[in-house]
Amino acid sequence: MNVPLDPLLISVAAPLAVAVAIALGLPKRWAVKLAYAGFAVPALVAIDVWWRFASAAKEVHGYAFLTNYSTGLDRLGIGLKLGLNGISLPLFVLAGLVGFAAGLYAIQSKAERMKTYLLLLLVMQAGLMGTFASVNVFFFYFFHELALIPTFIMVGIWGGRDRSYAAMMMTVYLTLGAMLSLVGLIAIYVKTGATSFDLMILRDALASRPLGEVTQTHIFGLLLFGFGILVSLWPFHSWAPLGYGAAPSSAAMLHAGVLKKFGLYGLLQIALPLLPFGAAQWSHSLAVVAGVGNVLAIGLVTMAQRDLKQMVGYSSVMHMGYAFLGIAAGSVLGAGGVVMLMVAHGFSVALLFLLSTTIYHRTHTFEMDQMGGLAQKAPVLAGLFVAATFASIGLPGFANFWGELPIFFALWNFSHGLTLVALTGTVVSAVYGLRAAARVFFGPESEAFARVAAVDPPADIAWSERLPAFVLVAALLFIGFWPKSFSDGINRALMGEPAAVVASR
Amino acid sequence: MTPTHIALSVLLAPLASAALITLLLGRRGGLASAVSVVAALFIACGALWLAFGGDRFTASWEWLRFGSFAVALGIKLDDLAALMLSIVGVVGLCVHVFSLGYMRDDAARARYFGGLSVFMFSMIGIVLADNLFMMFIFWELVGFSSYFLINHWRELASASDAAKKAFIVNRVGDFGFLLGIILCYWANGTVSLSELGAGHVVYSRLIPLLLFCGAIGKSAQLPLQVWLPDAMEGPTPVSALIHAATMVAAGIYMLCRIDVLMVPQARTVIAWVGTLTALYAAMCAITQRDIKKVLAYSTISQLGYMVAAFGLGSVGAAMFHLTTHAFFKALLFLGSGSVILGCHHEQDIFRMGGLRSRMPVTFWTFTIAVAAIIGMPGLAGFFSKDAILVLAFENNRAVFSVLAFTAILTAFYMIRLWKIVFLGEPAGEPARHAHEGGISLTAPLVLLAALSAVGGYWRAYPRAFDGVFSQIPEAGGATHAIVLATSLVVLVAGAGTALAYYATDGGDTLERRSPGAFRFLGALRSSFDTGYDFYVAEVQQRAALVLNFIDVVGLSGIVVRGLAGATEMFGFGIRALHTGRLSTYVYWFLGGVVVLWAFAAGVL
Repeated sequence: MNVPLDPLLISVAAPLAVAVAIALGLPKRWAVKLAYAGFAVPALVAIDVWWRFASAAKEVHGYAFLTNYSTGLDRLGIGLKLGLNGISLPLFVLAGLVGFAAGLYAIQSKAERMKTYLLLLLVMQAGLMGTFASVNVFFFYFFHELALIPTFIMVGIWGGRDRSYAAMMMTVYLTLGAMLSLVGLIAIYVKTGATSFDLMILRDALASRPLGEVTQTHIFGLLLFGFGILVSLWPFHSWAPLGYGAAPSSAAMLHAGVLKKFGLYGLLQIALPLLPFGAAQWSHSLAVVAGVGNVLAIGLVTMAQRDLKQMVGYSSVMHMGYAFLGIAAGSVLGAGGVVMLMVAHGFSVALLFLLSTTIYHRTHTFEMDQMGGLAQKAPVLAGLFVAATFASIGLPGFANFWGELPIFFALWNFSHGLTLVALTGTVVSAVYGLRAAARVFFGPESEAFARVAAVDPPADIAWSERLPAFVLVAALLFIGFWPKSFSDGINRALMGEPAAVVASR
Repeated sequence: MTPTHIALSVLLAPLASAALITLLLGRRGGLASAVSVVAALFIACGALWLAFGGDRFTASWEWLRFGSFAVALGIKLDDLAALMLSIVGVVGLCVHVFSLGYMRDDAARARYFGGLSVFMFSMIGIVLADNLFMMFIFWELVGFSSYFLINHWRELASASDAAKKAFIVNRVGDFGFLLGIILCYWANGTVSLSELGAGHVVYSRLIPLLLFCGAIGKSAQLPLQVWLPDAMEGPTPVSALIHAATMVAAGIYMLCRIDVLMVPQARTVIAWVGTLTALYAAMCAITQRDIKKVLAYSTISQLGYMVAAFGLGSVGAAMFHLTTHAFFKALLFLGSGSVILGCHHEQDIFRMGGLRSRMPVTFWTFTIAVAAIIGMPGLAGFFSKDAILVLAFENNRAVFSVLAFTAILTAFYMIRLWKIVFLGEPAGEPARHAHEGGISLTAPLVLLAALSAVGGYWRAYPRAFDGVFSQIPEAGGATHAIVLATSLVVLVAGAGTALAYYATDGGDTLERRSPGAFRFLGALRSSFDTGYDFYVAEVQQRAALVLNFIDVVGLSGIVVRGLAGATEMFGFGIRALHTGRLSTYVYWFLGGVVVLWAFAAGVL
């Protein structure tokens, strides 16, 4: 074990170190330069480990790059154990790349109090990398909190309209969700009696000696509500459109794109394998709520939005419904689709938030009624927005399609009726997606926009804004054209890596 | 180079062209159009080589796998695919070349040619697909290319609306298509065309009908035909390639691909949908003033013939008509493009007239196409339409009568169009100054006119497509005589009436002489749009607004906050924020962690 060169630890430590340096009073000039490195290092590490993952030596449950650090709490089973399997790798890559894009976008944003803003984003970035690299459930949770708190602060300080109210709503909901899931995680720990938070040990212990059925059902319920609130499960979703509507764009990109996936990831990586009976008990209620609530009702609500950013926020709530449906379907196929969708949605929603703000700088409003005809002034921006829209409505060629397709197929074996509901969602999302693109970019200029354009002539998307957008589009297309680059690892992890591949330790 | 490599490069060449144009040539219209045309030339050569020179083969690569569910990228080149590929290649090349002239002065030429390349990539994917997953993937992609190209003139609200409508209506059809694929997968354990073709198919009425929903959307059959006339907002070469010759015919191609899944009851439904669509669209075409709209309704009507032919059980007849239609309808659209360009973007036929002498190449080629579509003996459309009528006569007399009546209407509206546009005296200033375009405009017309003239003699083709054309129904004796007599009578009746009835004086004779009939046909045409508009505005949008109200006021305002008992936290949150002490939560959290850690580590 070569501690200084552990890539996973570096990906957490680098942004954290830059944040600490900024907190210690680095001059702004240096702070910005160092921040580039703080965001770039995790992204490079993510690409590097993705590249090496297929050939890397795997240990039990398909984990690679495992390292263990003592925290002085070993007798409680709390050690900083880092590693990646086929499920966490895609999310780790997502965190690295979206973090990089959000960082670049923040640096060019000319926000007030830039140093503090970057500091908070870097802390968030470190937390995100840590969350998905942690094998120890305690640190999995700890890193999530580390990433969550900066979100509240950023919404409260740099937010747009209604920022105090939005920050408060987010704080209340997400804290409640996090607390419920914490209780659930502690309950697993206590009931297992394994005296360890190590996920690998917990899995082995529960595989040979599963928890009682009643216990499983109760604990899974806690986790479902806790994680569900964090992922905007209907009807606990109100924080999402409100919070994202107000959040500064880089914070919205990181939260909606990456941090929100924490709950789904927890359900897939922890709750489903550890509590299979509990999952089966809850699956039907979950599917009905997610299908009718998230997909159908929120899909229609999304159609009614007039504020671009709110619309993106609601659409994200709707797409989380598909992820819940895939989890409820309870098969390798469904779960595989969920992982693909988590990654794809992360890239596409981050891109949509980035572009929404970019549009705002040209139209000086988020009201779609007061836009129109921007494509003539900003063709590249229009192209990127159309690409993001089609990605998010599941057009093949973009990653999202590979999330939705397996989920639909898995769902049919679970419930015919809900499959119809989910497929209706594909029409609904096409309606609001294309309608938004048309209202913002196409047709003649609206009067309101013409007035704005006369005072402040809009330019096409600048290179500093283009670069982070390109990173996200490239990722969406890459996975869209070559899904095997991630699905093979996911499939192996879900099928259960055979014990024979345990490498010599 | 094995045939597999050729097929793959034919598929990927237009993708490479599109990528190159998007990334590097966005501002270099001339270079972009050259790249795109070279790609189209490569496709045409590759397609013909594969069809006439190469072997028939299948190949497959795994694309994604979860458990036992695997999606493959595969190629199945049989006679059917070879025929379709040749059509796409040849018509595609004609349209690319025509676009060089047609789009010469367009500011966004690079975007246009990039879009054409994306379309060629997607369409070839459908043609080569060896399984329904892959067909669906490229099916969606042609839908996207169609959206993209209809939307080409972005500053026009009408173009933007039409593009949106095309994509959404197709999504409605694809709802059924995807559901059909899901059912097919779970019933048969595979959606590979080769494996399904090898037998052991679980027969069901539902699966073929759901898959047919995809064709209803893509091939603009009742009741989803509404998007195609609006799609004429796109540039005319796009209408020729996508909305006449190839993409809209993909629905029929797809049906022929899944022929093995069909059951008799499903066929009956399909035959009647096609028949009624043919009749309905022909009636709509009669009152149109816009040259492209006449052709659009004519396309819907002819697609109805193909769907009916498939429903009556003959892949051969359906594909034969698809082939000849691709030639003469592409020619009609390109001819109309030539007319529109010659008349300085005038599209109203009653402001044209007298173009015969002013645009001779366009006139003669257009005349061949009109003669072909109305079934003039000896030309391509005559043979393929006859095959369908023979089929209908032998299998279903009711369908036969409707299709024969529709043939009268076809002759009627086409001769009306032809007479008003080309004969008489110019009715408007633009028509007076009309002139023929350059070689890039006329050469494709001549090539397609040749194909429209001789395309029906399939026995003279090389043996390459025998797998398809050997299934064309042939009649002998009495049937042959009756059908032949019928088609000649309907041709003379329709064409003669139109020639005699319409005057070339700058107004619609039907509107003047029988306003009742004119209004009825107009109302018939707009009835579907009226219904859908009502649904969208009064049902869907209202439901959305009500749910939005409930969501904002009801759920987040009352229910959840009450249920969760979070009111107090709420107050705490407000105070914390309003006093500017946002960091309160941070301190509490950090404090908690420190205490927990200290306790656990034995410090306390």
